[in-house]
Amino acid sequence: MLLLIQYTLIFASVLVLVALGGCFSEHSGVINIGLEGIMVIGALGGALMMKFLGGGAPAAVVILLVVLSSVLSGILCSLLLGVAAIHFKADQTLLGTALNLLGAAVAVVLVRAINLSEDIDNVSSTIKYGEAKSAFIIRIGDFEFNWFMLIAFVVLILSYIVLYKTKFGMRLYACGEHPQAADSVGINVYKMRYAGVMISGALGGLGGLVYITAGVSEWKFENGVAGFGFLALAVMIFGQWKPLNIGLAALLFGFFRALSNVYTGFDFLLSLKLPSVIYNMLPYIISLIVLVFVSKKSRAPKAEGIPYDKGQR
Amino acid sequence: MNKERTKKASILRNDGFQTTISSILCILIGFLIGYIVLLIINPKGAGDAILAIMKNFLYYSSAVSAKKYLGTTLVKASALLMCALSVLFANKVGLFNIGVAGQYVVGAGASLYFAVGLGMPWYVSLLAAIVFAAALGGISGFLKSYFNVNEVISCIMLNWISLYCVNMLLSTVKESSTPYTKPLSSANKDGLLPNLGLDKIFSNNKFVTIGVVLSVIAAIFVSILLDKTKFGYELKATGMNKHAAKYCGMKEKRNIIITMMISGALAGMGAGIFYLSGIEQWMIGQTSIPAMGFNGIAAAFLGGLNPIGAIFASYFIQHITSGGTYVDKTMYCTQISDLMIAFIIYLCGFVFFFKLFLNKYLDKRDEKMAAKAREGGEA
Amino acid sequence: MDNYAIEMLGITKKFPGIIANDNVTLQVKKGEIHALLGENGAGKSTLMSILFGFYQPDGGEIRKDGRKIKINNPNEANALGIGMVHQHFKLVECFTVLDNIILGAETTKGGFLQKKEAKKKVLELSEKYGLYVDPDAVIENITVGMQQRTEILKMLYRDNEVLIFDEPTAVLTPQEIKELMAVMKNLAAEGKSILFITHKLAEIMEVADRCSVLRKGKYIGTVDVKDTTPEELSAMMVGRNVSLVVEKKPSEPGDVVLDVKNMSVASQRGKKDAVKNVSLQVRRGEIVCIAGIDGNGQTEFIYGLSGLEPVKSGMIMMNGKDITRMPIRKRLTSGMSHIPEDRHKHGLVLDFSLEDNIVLQRYFEPQFTNKFGFLKRNSIREYANRLIKQYDVRSGQGPITKARDMSGGNQQKAIIAREIDKNPELLIAVQPTRGLDVGAVEYIHKQLVAQRDAGKGVLLVSFELDEVMNLADRILVMYEGEIVGEFSPGQVSVEELGLYMAGSKRMEVGAHE
Repeated sequence: MLLLIQYTLIFASVLVLVALGGCFSEHSGVINIGLEGIMVIGALGGALMMKFLGGGAPAAVVILLVVLSSVLSGILCSLLLGVAAIHFKADQTLLGTALNLLGAAVAVVLVRAINLSEDIDNVSSTIKYGEAKSAFIIRIGDFEFNWFMLIAFVVLILSYIVLYKTKFGMRLYACGEHPQAADSVGINVYKMRYAGVMISGALGGLGGLVYITAGVSEWKFENGVAGFGFLALAVMIFGQWKPLNIGLAALLFGFFRALSNVYTGFDFLLSLKLPSVIYNMLPYIISLIVLVFVSKKSRAPKAEGIPYDKGQR
Repeated sequence: MNKERTKKASILRNDGFQTTISSILCILIGFLIGYIVLLIINPKGAGDAILAIMKNFLYYSSAVSAKKYLGTTLVKASALLMCALSVLFANKVGLFNIGVAGQYVVGAGASLYFAVGLGMPWYVSLLAAIVFAAALGGISGFLKSYFNVNEVISCIMLNWISLYCVNMLLSTVKESSTPYTKPLSSANKDGLLPNLGLDKIFSNNKFVTIGVVLSVIAAIFVSILLDKTKFGYELKATGMNKHAAKYCGMKEKRNIIITMMISGALAGMGAGIFYLSGIEQWMIGQTSIPAMGFNGIAAAFLGGLNPIGAIFASYFIQHITSGGTYVDKTMYCTQISDLMIAFIIYLCGFVFFFKLFLNKYLDKRDEKMAAKAREGGEA
Repeated sequence: MDNYAIEMLGITKKFPGIIANDNVTLQVKKGEIHALLGENGAGKSTLMSILFGFYQPDGGEIRKDGRKIKINNPNEANALGIGMVHQHFKLVECFTVLDNIILGAETTKGGFLQKKEAKKKVLELSEKYGLYVDPDAVIENITVGMQQRTEILKMLYRDNEVLIFDEPTAVLTPQEIKELMAVMKNLAAEGKSILFITHKLAEIMEVADRCSVLRKGKYIGTVDVKDTTPEELSAMMVGRNVSLVVEKKPSEPGDVVLDVKNMSVASQRGKKDAVKNVSLQVRRGEIVCIAGIDGNGQTEFIYGLSGLEPVKSGMIMMNGKDITRMPIRKRLTSGMSHIPEDRHKHGLVLDFSLEDNIVLQRYFEPQFTNKFGFLKRNSIREYANRLIKQYDVRSGQGPITKARDMSGGNQQKAIIAREIDKNPELLIAVQPTRGLDVGAVEYIHKQLVAQRDAGKGVLLVSFELDEVMNLADRILVMYEGEIVGEFSPGQVSVEELGLYMAGSKRMEVGAHE
């Protein structure tokens, strides 16, 4: 039971971070379906930093540097989307797809190159970071508290405040709803959209890091992040682009995802004798059903996906 | 002389020409980036590696081997072409079928299960692949038209669901000693696509089947359907302006569903002609979606969303993907081609801007020339 | 020397292919209401976009209070005290009135929005100028008039001195227009300089001090309004004396072609029905005109008739047949033609060629599609060429021109050719002359009358009272989804119609049996 709660919380943390990232990007008017790729790159940035630091450094330093590295990697990756979508008015769905493929390919190529350079026989795409990872975890009895749970919670609250209570949030919102209106009162739509995309990169990258440190102490980058970026998009839509709703949606989706990891610990679930694949599918099936119910009256940012052209008013 | 100039300008203004130019530009930049990455990893072998990728089957010095591996590249390219057709067909109706990957997976599952599990002949298995993948595409289309579910999101969810379902289904036809499905050649010979002598052309490469021909026929079929028929006219009208389509009485909801079904059918057929050639078996328990579908997106866009363009683009992409396996593995990994392809897709996003830029430049040049001509006339 | 608040001297702006402004001069005095008059396409919007910093002029200079200035973007225009109420409001629909007013000019403390003070200032301003609006209301729930007040408050909140109103009366009821005029006079009296862009002469005569006229990008002249007449202004605007009165014989109504009984259509937005219990008849050989302010259910009524929206209750009969639940295609092939309100949204596939657009309603007929489902390209080309010639549709490359590359007038002509050539029995036309120049308007009016004379039933929806008075054989006024009056054009004055359109008067219009 405790394990289920632990997994639910850590998966929900991943989802909440990434979904909030998507939320910022879409509120600025840019659809970001490349979150999956951004997560991989963020995870890579974090993993390499952990590998580099090893087990020697103090926990606080490890946390700070690793998080920073993930966030920066994510931002860098998101800028690929930003530049093309905002300045060159490229199709955002196509870019997102490219980003997902790119994230996976870059990670594998890079990790393999590093592994090869260290050991000519090591052709795997795995990074081990077991020692550094322990900095993120505090054991409370049987419960593994992960600092990321707290970070995710703080980010959630901050997102709410930023979006609804600050000048920045109000302007960002306006750019996703009616960029012409924003422009006419002197708001730089391009700048705000860059901000939205970069925040999504930062949070997506961080989410990737949380995902790979969730349970294991090494990561095989050929596996990517197993569709979590896409799941986060579903969380965002289910949460109707509102931070607090996204928090709740993430908990729900996190719970179902956790179930597939730990269902063997529950007698009544075992007695159902369902193949384990069913539990793997469950989050996706549920998000599909949920989408059917919420999409009819869905209130996506009005101008999302439409490149803003100053000439067209 | 003046006449010649206007002629040149008109070629430059031709949309097909502009598309070709931009695709070639994307490829060149893609290669350049690949080369830079290779240089960063290990400057010693970078030149050889990029050459190996470009050469692909020409890596073999004997004509016999080269032909054989050309055949293999063609088989894979034909599956890729089907995926590209699937993507571009949906795109004509304004839908982004990222579900091509899942539809491909379902096609693979259906064809292999019918051929290996049920012992059906190849045409039944191929039909099963088409029908089931069409059904999957239809689900996304249905959700889009009746529940306003964004097709990109629903397709992504269905991709994963398909993957898990197919893994489950095909575990019933698994070889006991390996993680793969039983090979068709031993389990059901009738399940293999007929060669019709094509294998002879490619140094007895038995994987070269009518599938290769079928895919090209499919491309021509799609091209005719879109450009010459009433149905194609309706689909394009719906894609470009669904309000106008509704206004003049087209059934846009029905059209969206049919489009997604055809799109799915094309992807499913791609999987069918690939797996029923016996070239590969399905690995049960694989946790990532086969790249074929996503590469189909690349091929579709690189081909300028034109069925005939897709033929060339698919071959090219498969060519460098296969070429990636010839890089020196003590220095690099085969995924370097994936990286280049990903970059090429990314660059395809800039094509629209490139054309806009080119046309603006041409406008300015024409205006200047016109002004000069006027001055000349006055003087 | 006069004290000018804003001067635009010798402004020239070129776009590829056209000169939008050709050496235009505009001088606005402090505290005056200065009208800028011109037809659609005369270059008014371009000139204002330059003043507001959206475009840079290719020649000429701008002065404020006598000093030469350069305006690079709307922000700088704002800083110079120039504000604008755009024709299409620039309001974020899901924001409140207050949020829209402060957007871009927010006061913050430690990064947090300070809305309390802002609200106080907004309330003071609305009190001072009589611009009543609830600051906490959400934009999508308030009337168009209130949205416009929000736009005006946006300028005042920023202490703008020069206020530009771009076609502000197009969307208002006559009563709201009166209120707006009062507000404008009030603002001018407080020392604000007002630029009033319009093509309505009556409004200029009522409210403006001076008037500058543009025609085809060129500056024609500036006159004192008290020394001029509408006729003189009109001549300056179009360059010739045009009579907008359409020559037509009295109508000879025949059989009923359209019979609507108690029709209601649900609203897309609120819970209330957009069309409530409407009954009307259209006979052969008459033009029935639905007058009213934009947004009073006309759009939804036509959607219901044409099948674009389902009808909630009631019945539609065409030629004695019940078509209430008939699919759109079936309606269109059994005698209905529909010139839609929005030619870009419904009327055309902009990325299709002209010929493909011309067969949009008939491509499936055996003359254009063979029995195997292939299009007969040659027949399509022939047919398109015939219509292009007959209806004088002009375009760069004839039938293969992309509809997007054609002028608005020719796009509309193509639609009209397509719809009329179908030889309908009922022709529905919604705002068929919106945004067109005088020549095109004349042409379209003649075509509508010709259709009537050929014995078709014509149902015209128009927001322009002049058009209604000129064309209609029978006028129905629609207000908030209901028919509130029925008149013959000779029997009623524009002022009287205005009262019905604004809902301050209504008569019982019985359902037709």
